[in-house]
Amino acid sequence: MAKVQLKNIKKVYPLTEDIKKKKKDDKPAKKINLQITPEGVVAVQEFNIDIKDKEFIVLVGPSGCGKSTTLRMVAGLEEITSGELLIDDVVMNYVEPKDRDIAMVFQNYALYPHMTVFDNIAYSLRLKRLPKAEIEKKVYEAADILDIREYLNRKPKNLSGGQRQRVAIGRAIVRNPKVLLMDEPLSNLDAKLRNQMRAEIIKLREKINTTFIYVTHDQTEAMTLGDRIVVMKDGYIQQIGTPQDVFNHPANLFVAGFIGSPRMNIFDGQLVRNGNSYQVKIGDYACALSEKKCARLVANNVASQDVYIGARPDHIELSETGLEAIVDVTELMGSDIHVHMIAADKDTIVIVPTNGESLLFNKKDKLNLKLVPNTIHVFSKETEKNLEW
Amino acid sequence: MEDQNKTSRTKLIISRLFAYIFVGFFCILCIFFFYLLVLNSTKTNFELQGKFSFIPGTNFITNFTNAINDDFVKIPVGMVNSFIVASISALLTTYFSALTAYATYVYDFKLKKLVTTFIIGVMMIPSQVSAAGFVQLAFKFGLTNKLWVLIIPSIAAPAVYFYMKQYLEATLPLEMIEAARIDGSSEFATFNRIVLPIMKPAVAVQMIFSFVGSWNNFFLPGLLLTEPELKTVPIMISQLRSADFAKFDLGKLYMFILLAILPVVVVYLLLSKFIIKGVTSGSVKG
Repeated sequence: MAKVQLKNIKKVYPLTEDIKKKKKDDKPAKKINLQITPEGVVAVQEFNIDIKDKEFIVLVGPSGCGKSTTLRMVAGLEEITSGELLIDDVVMNYVEPKDRDIAMVFQNYALYPHMTVFDNIAYSLRLKRLPKAEIEKKVYEAADILDIREYLNRKPKNLSGGQRQRVAIGRAIVRNPKVLLMDEPLSNLDAKLRNQMRAEIIKLREKINTTFIYVTHDQTEAMTLGDRIVVMKDGYIQQIGTPQDVFNHPANLFVAGFIGSPRMNIFDGQLVRNGNSYQVKIGDYACALSEKKCARLVANNVASQDVYIGARPDHIELSETGLEAIVDVTELMGSDIHVHMIAADKDTIVIVPTNGESLLFNKKDKLNLKLVPNTIHVFSKETEKNLEW
Repeated sequence: MEDQNKTSRTKLIISRLFAYIFVGFFCILCIFFFYLLVLNSTKTNFELQGKFSFIPGTNFITNFTNAINDDFVKIPVGMVNSFIVASISALLTTYFSALTAYATYVYDFKLKKLVTTFIIGVMMIPSQVSAAGFVQLAFKFGLTNKLWVLIIPSIAAPAVYFYMKQYLEATLPLEMIEAARIDGSSEFATFNRIVLPIMKPAVAVQMIFSFVGSWNNFFLPGLLLTEPELKTVPIMISQLRSADFAKFDLGKLYMFILLAILPVVVVYLLLSKFIIKGVTSGSVKG
């Protein structure tokens, strides 16, 4: 139960001898997404966010984007190079992790293998020298919330992955922390268990009153769990918003491609302004934008230009006329079919609902696609930013 | 097809047979001398000087009593001294080596690489080279004839450190340390309550090796201990050569040696399961 503020947070790792040597050799760095400056390797920069009390924030982005580093800075496991971290308006930059009143769940559970589940959960309480009865009460409460009471006497090695992760969560919540940090807690689980645990985290949130900061590279987790999502890339925040916001109004080409599964289709095209109305053109195909979209573009005084045109797979319809496409591969997903095709020289995916019928698409079939006017996104070719923003 | 099966089965049997003969031969080679030692400790001096026989004698108890009550070589005193030195050395060596290994594995500090290289570099220097200086120092400061002079230097054991570090790198995820820190554990508490129990197999293995090494150490105790009441078992055994020839009893001598290796054998038997676990752990990620 706390608000967390990150003000202009920056993290720079000092240059190691290896990186210095590489720089001297002037060969391209292995991790091209890391910015190497004379100061060192910049992992996170210009990170600003106000996290409200009891809010569930999800940091999402590809590997190496700085999301885990940010979380570890909040935990106190990494030093903050510059900027301020405040928990309940108290600057925490130099406060020890144990004094921050936070708890953390790790990807690989990080359970103490020689202790039983009970001892694992009770460890932090014992260090606080709480009375035995109180420790027992708190451990049983946490165990009941997570449904692991029957495993309390087992050692971690005798538990399944899902059970271990529950114990790790139990160890975190038993302290009733102000902020609960989770670093890709579901990544080590198989797909089925991940879905189940995701639902359990949603339920857990209802049971415990605390602020959550959750790191994941899985956009489905981000969409389903977060009140707000922070999309990161190369150490920078790309967009902060509600899942719906980020999905419907991606700030730039990266966010558009990263959020949503299957990923958004991107075409090379033109934006043509005609007074207060706009249309997009992909080759010979043209589609007028919706009034709302036109109004936003007019407000930004966007002129005719070459653009990237984005359309989500479920926002493209099959029609009699339109953008020509040739079927490549189809994937039957049950209630719909993912049709992979080539349209305007780009790999394109279209989700076609089956509506209970058995649809059949053959390789090399010619189809025509139609974009839905109010779901088209236009991105600047120069800045890759959403022109509606 | 059937012929081919038969040929490959015969080949397998022959290769296994060779392997068993090879292994069996070396097993016998190892065990035979222990058997010989036990066998000889049951015989009288007269029997031992006569024709060799595989049949045990009946003088075991007498040899034992003679060995225990010998005026010149007080083996019980030597065993107590050796036990004190070996057990305390083993404890301290493993604890401090584990602590050093933990520090160089978990913490990032300047010159960390240099420190690690230096410690491992010390491993390359023969102990006899540094011992010469140490003995001189001990004499100058009047530190001879004290058991702790043997214990303290044994704490710095680069080989044990190296083993511990390798073990930690293979088994201890850093997240566990971070989890403990967030749980509110101090650095020492984390080491003692979380890391040491995880390192139990490695600690056990190194305790055994250190114990045996210290128990069998002849070089330093031979130079630093001159008082009869402080002598350790290896020195006492060496003194048997200069024993009175008139009272020379080979049966008693073998009993001395048997008693000398007994604690080591007991320690080995008790902790052998840890040795196997500890030596193989870390080789494959579990």
